Amino acid sequence: MKKLAEAIVKFRILIVIITLLITLVLGYFIKDIKFNSDIMSYLPEDDNVAVLFNNVGKKYGGNDMALIAIQSDNIFQKDVLEHIKQLTDSIKTLEGVGTVTSLIDVIDIKGSDWGIEIGKLIDAYDLPETNEELDSLKQYILSKEMYRGSLISEDATTTLIIAKINSAVSDKSTITNQIKEMVTEINMPEKIYYGGIPFMIFEIGNIISHDMIWLGLSAFILIAFILLLSFKTTRGVILPLSTVIIASIWTIGIMSILKFEITLITSIIPVILLAVGSAYTIHVINRINEEKDQDTKKALLKAVAYIIIPVFLASITTMVGFLSFIFGSYLTLIRDFGVFTALGVFFSLVLSVTFVPALIAMSQSKSNTNMDKARSDKSTILNNFLKQLSIIIFKHPKYSFTIWSIILIICVIGIFKVERRVDMIDYFKEESTIRKTEKLLQDKFSGSLPVYVTVKGNVQSPEVLNTMNKVQIFMEQNEYMKQTQSVADLIKEMNNIMGEGKTIPESEEKIQQLWFLLDGQDIMEQLVSSDLDEGLIQGNISTTDNEALSKFSNDLEQFINENQSDECKMEVTGIPSLYERLNQSIVKSQMYSLILSIILVFIIVAGLLKSPLKGFFAIVPISATLILLFGFMGFTGIPLDIATVLVGSISVGIGIDYAIHLITHFEEDYKKTNNVQSALEESIKISGRAIVINVLSVSLGFLVLLFSNLVPLQRFGLLIAVTMISSGIATLTLMPVVINLISRRIKIKSLTN
Amino acid sequence: MRKLEIQTIMSALFIFAGLLSANAQDANTILKNVDNVLFSAKDMSGNNKMILIDKSGNEEIREATTQQKGIDKRMFRFTSPSSQAGIAVLSLPEDVMYLYLPAFGKERRIASSAKNQNFAGTDFSYDDMESKPYSEKYTPKLLNTEGNVYVLELIPLSLKSDYSKIIMKVHKTNFYPELLEYYNKANNKVKVAKYTFNKIGNYWNPSEIEMTDLKKNHKTKMIMNDVKYDTGLADEEFTVRKLKQ
Repeated sequence: MKKLAEAIVKFRILIVIITLLITLVLGYFIKDIKFNSDIMSYLPEDDNVAVLFNNVGKKYGGNDMALIAIQSDNIFQKDVLEHIKQLTDSIKTLEGVGTVTSLIDVIDIKGSDWGIEIGKLIDAYDLPETNEELDSLKQYILSKEMYRGSLISEDATTTLIIAKINSAVSDKSTITNQIKEMVTEINMPEKIYYGGIPFMIFEIGNIISHDMIWLGLSAFILIAFILLLSFKTTRGVILPLSTVIIASIWTIGIMSILKFEITLITSIIPVILLAVGSAYTIHVINRINEEKDQDTKKALLKAVAYIIIPVFLASITTMVGFLSFIFGSYLTLIRDFGVFTALGVFFSLVLSVTFVPALIAMSQSKSNTNMDKARSDKSTILNNFLKQLSIIIFKHPKYSFTIWSIILIICVIGIFKVERRVDMIDYFKEESTIRKTEKLLQDKFSGSLPVYVTVKGNVQSPEVLNTMNKVQIFMEQNEYMKQTQSVADLIKEMNNIMGEGKTIPESEEKIQQLWFLLDGQDIMEQLVSSDLDEGLIQGNISTTDNEALSKFSNDLEQFINENQSDECKMEVTGIPSLYERLNQSIVKSQMYSLILSIILVFIIVAGLLKSPLKGFFAIVPISATLILLFGFMGFTGIPLDIATVLVGSISVGIGIDYAIHLITHFEEDYKKTNNVQSALEESIKISGRAIVINVLSVSLGFLVLLFSNLVPLQRFGLLIAVTMISSGIATLTLMPVVINLISRRIKIKSLTN
Repeated sequence: MRKLEIQTIMSALFIFAGLLSANAQDANTILKNVDNVLFSAKDMSGNNKMILIDKSGNEEIREATTQQKGIDKRMFRFTSPSSQAGIAVLSLPEDVMYLYLPAFGKERRIASSAKNQNFAGTDFSYDDMESKPYSEKYTPKLLNTEGNVYVLELIPLSLKSDYSKIIMKVHKTNFYPELLEYYNKANNKVKVAKYTFNKIGNYWNPSEIEMTDLKKNHKTKMIMNDVKYDTGLADEEFTVRKLKQ
């Protein structure tokens, strides 16, 4: 280690130049990185729910819906209709939009004594003009179930343009952008609202990039300020932060070269590097400051030679923790996250033991007066605090242990209260436009989340159509499902016009002949497959409440199972099931990975330090932090979702580091003194300092996220702070107490090896 | 001297104006000739085979017998597939249209506003199927002549048309249309019809029309067989009573 340290000091200029060159090259590639905030695209392509959903998109001209709500005191005015027509026509021309439905473009089946009329509800080239015409149109449209509550609100003040989008192939953010541009171009005086998943995703992307810039910057400045207070030198600020920035640039640059997209999950890699990566540098600087040798060069050499081992150990275990995602994960997305976070951690390690000491050596060779002023501040509040801390915990280690046990038991109870909620609308604050729009869509229409039932069988047979009808009646019984649509509705309507009542005809022949009239209608492509071997029931659900949704899905699932036959097989898909699926798999795989990573950390630490006992010590603070974290979530009602579950992995990463630093420090001291207590006290004093600085800077930095416009980001910030603080406290109190108590019974022999 | 100059200028102007109107005249004449070729038979009867081809190349075949008298009376009766056999459509003057569904044993009038709808799953709209002379529906303009064809631009007279224009390529000597390109209101080409003609007696018969919907990537081939002209079909063949038989 000493040779390595000497080499680093010797080649310091070369190291700094190479580091900067790599940063420049990889930084150049970042310009090509793509951001993908489309959560739906995160499911693997062969996932059966996703396959079904994508098939619906392919076969029926789209599966996802962008909704444009147009509001005016009365929709039935000539220029309002004109605007709807213009907007409908322009949206139709957009690439990636499957079908567009609006008052101006929707099938209408009119029956009267003299005959039938199958055509468009409103003739787009001959819009009604006189008040009389407009009024009778209004009466007619509001009288029809098919439109009331699905295209026009009952009070005739709001109407919808529904653009179906095939989620597997379309670039939703481009489409939503283009739609908004078109609205601006038409310059409509009416009030416009945008709803549905595509707009939500667009909005999430917008908010994240906005918050990331402003809040990220504020957090960064805050962290810098705390580092400045702690180290009282500029290098104490610049070095940890520049390692984080450089490591992030390298990681994202390599992701870009390898054509990986930044997802909502991988976008937190820099955040993890800020928490974990800055710690390595803080430990290195802290150690250099601790070396009391007046010869700065010798102090540097000694510090680096010592610190390489714990930093290496800490980062290797952290990397293994993240690499464990490769095994536990169903989603490639999580796998990518694990691999690239591990890579980023590796870069942080390399930088903190090469670039950082090299830079310090460079600045020292210039001026020797630069030795840390921190030295003179040794007796600061922080040191006193740490000293007091060790006195308290060692005076009554059993009490300390008991207090921890009580806290952990309470938290275990909390874990059972953790909710698993998946509600994208929950991401937005109460007063946000998206939420207001969703409320409007739920109040006046039937919501924005499409639910589909595919019905496999001969769609021209009375049996299949009657089954579809039955399923629809069942679905509409649910208070959140106002309306459903299928080809069975159209056949019933046509049968009625032929004078045989609003029912499915009893013979296939009759159905086929009614079909003749519907053949070629745009809407048919949205309702039946071209081979006529599958039909689609579609409906929107007007709640985003998870419990109501899962009850609905379960009931529907059961009803379908009871009513299907070999001639008529049914399956359910749609945004709610897809989202549920995604969330389940992320949460499940994360939980699995967390447990796996704890086991791996135990094995590695036990193996490398040749002591199962030390492996056990290392996982004490990690496990305690996880219990605290999930308990905290249970009691505060913060649900486990895509964002919050990731905090668990960060807490493992951080917990490992703290534990390793304390253990290696303890071992070194214990070797010299052979006194468990004094070695622990010394470790708490020195490693504790770096830990507390890291805890304070990162957790305060992340509390800035409480000002975010996105609820998950607020929660994320809060939970990171909780995790950092509990990791720190667990490492500085619980772990020493456990070591202390155990060493009274078992002689920690292996430590003296 | 001066007189002569004026005369020269005047006659030059006349010739120029004549040229201009000759062009306009030409476009109208060409379209009139097209109408004559297409619609001059007193009556026509034959078998109609419709091949529907979807974007993956799957074919579906429908067959019907067709009878037509003049330009505005037509009976269309499906013979296959069996599920559609017997379905009949009767078109009468002034956009009156009746549909008969044998399984119900009932006829119903179809409203004219359905004209821009596609006919029975084909790529032809009711409007495309109509045998109204082009010169009554469109204002023509001669764009140019290329090789064997005149290229006409037809602008619909009615604002209700789905099309903003149709480009028609007319055979120079025989005056039948070889190609029709339909443009939507946004001026994008949406449909293309290719015509093949053969001569039966005195008349040119559109033996095959291939209509492609460019947006849906769907194609319909309409093939006419056993065509007979001027057999003296009576008006009684085109009644609701006849429709129900």
